[in-house]
Amino acid sequence: MEESKKEGLVFAVDVGALMLYAGAEVYRVNDTIIHMLKALEIEDVEVYVLSNGIFASTNEQSIVRNVTLGPIHLGKVSAINQLSRDLSAHKINLEEAKQRFEEIKHIPTAKDYVLILASGVGSGAFAYIFGGNAFDGLFGFINGVLLEAFFLASVMRTRSRFIRNIFGAAFVTILTIIYIKVFTNLHMGKIIIGSIMPLVPGIALTTSIRDLFYGDYLSGAIHLLDALLTAICIAVGVGTVMSLFRMLGGLL
Amino acid sequence: MIIQFLVAMVATAAFSILYSVPRKNILAGAVAGGVGWIIYFTLEKVGADTIVYAFTSAFFLGVISRICAVLFKTPVTLYLLPGIFPIVPGAGIYYTAYYFFMNDMASFTRNGLETAKIALAISFGIIFALSIPHEIFGLLRKLQREEK
Repeated sequence: MEESKKEGLVFAVDVGALMLYAGAEVYRVNDTIIHMLKALEIEDVEVYVLSNGIFASTNEQSIVRNVTLGPIHLGKVSAINQLSRDLSAHKINLEEAKQRFEEIKHIPTAKDYVLILASGVGSGAFAYIFGGNAFDGLFGFINGVLLEAFFLASVMRTRSRFIRNIFGAAFVTILTIIYIKVFTNLHMGKIIIGSIMPLVPGIALTTSIRDLFYGDYLSGAIHLLDALLTAICIAVGVGTVMSLFRMLGGLL
Repeated sequence: MIIQFLVAMVATAAFSILYSVPRKNILAGAVAGGVGWIIYFTLEKVGADTIVYAFTSAFFLGVISRICAVLFKTPVTLYLLPGIFPIVPGAGIYYTAYYFFMNDMASFTRNGLETAKIALAISFGIIFALSIPHEIFGLLRKLQREEK
């Protein structure tokens, strides 16, 4: 196989792998890789994408990439989408595409304090629209801020997602019980619901639906299981704290 | 009502930041999320069935997201993923857990099934929105070009 074709195949699969890691659905990754290969004039390729891996093979060469479920970064997905469009339209060549890919790899997430604020604002706003009053919103905000700060603390970064969700949900429940014991006129349910919104598997559920819609049943099932387990973890986190509190004689 | 819409928009925008949506696409996603929530909220208030409001809001969220995707030439996920949060059954998960640990099995079953029902209705709403032939949205792009 010619060197340039090998290079093109490796590039296309690498781009696809990053896209998958950043949270794109299987269909889009598959589509992107095939479009790019077409633009690079590489024919006779079979590409098979799963939610946690990519297999691509020509008759002379094959590539496998193992992709773990990473943090969602839709900015990268969007940038790669644009890259693939430009490549397909022959606006850029492989060299330029590679350069742009390097830049895309390093698109940062928002700064920590922005993430913390966003989590707070989101939680507070959700506590409010789900039927809480302004104070519920305020405490939802505080919970959201503390939750994201808790996650960003280096200890929590490396732990498994299950542990993360259970502890995150337990953490906001403990805080909320403290609030309702200290202040009156708060709604425990509304504050907790708002605060667990950053953990709720909305993304996993949607990705699963989209995968299933395009006929990628295996990947759809993986994401669906992920959504279900995440929901159970949240429930366990919230519930355990409540039962412990009641066991110790507290009234909810 | 307007406050509900605005707060839902703020919430969606905040989640867009958490998922690193590019800055120029956040507003459109926020509008999609706000509209989805207003439909959900209004139908719920009127007393429509769970399936009806979950399905309808998810469907319109999907349609708006697809319109935005065509207009801005971006993946539909940029608007759909943050926009789904107001209608995702977070409250359902909470109440299901709450009644389970409170040993109220009747309420636990009811809430658990209700949560599953909402998730299923949302799925079908999105699937229906995704099934609309691409050509219909292609017309939009044509209109956009003519304006230019």
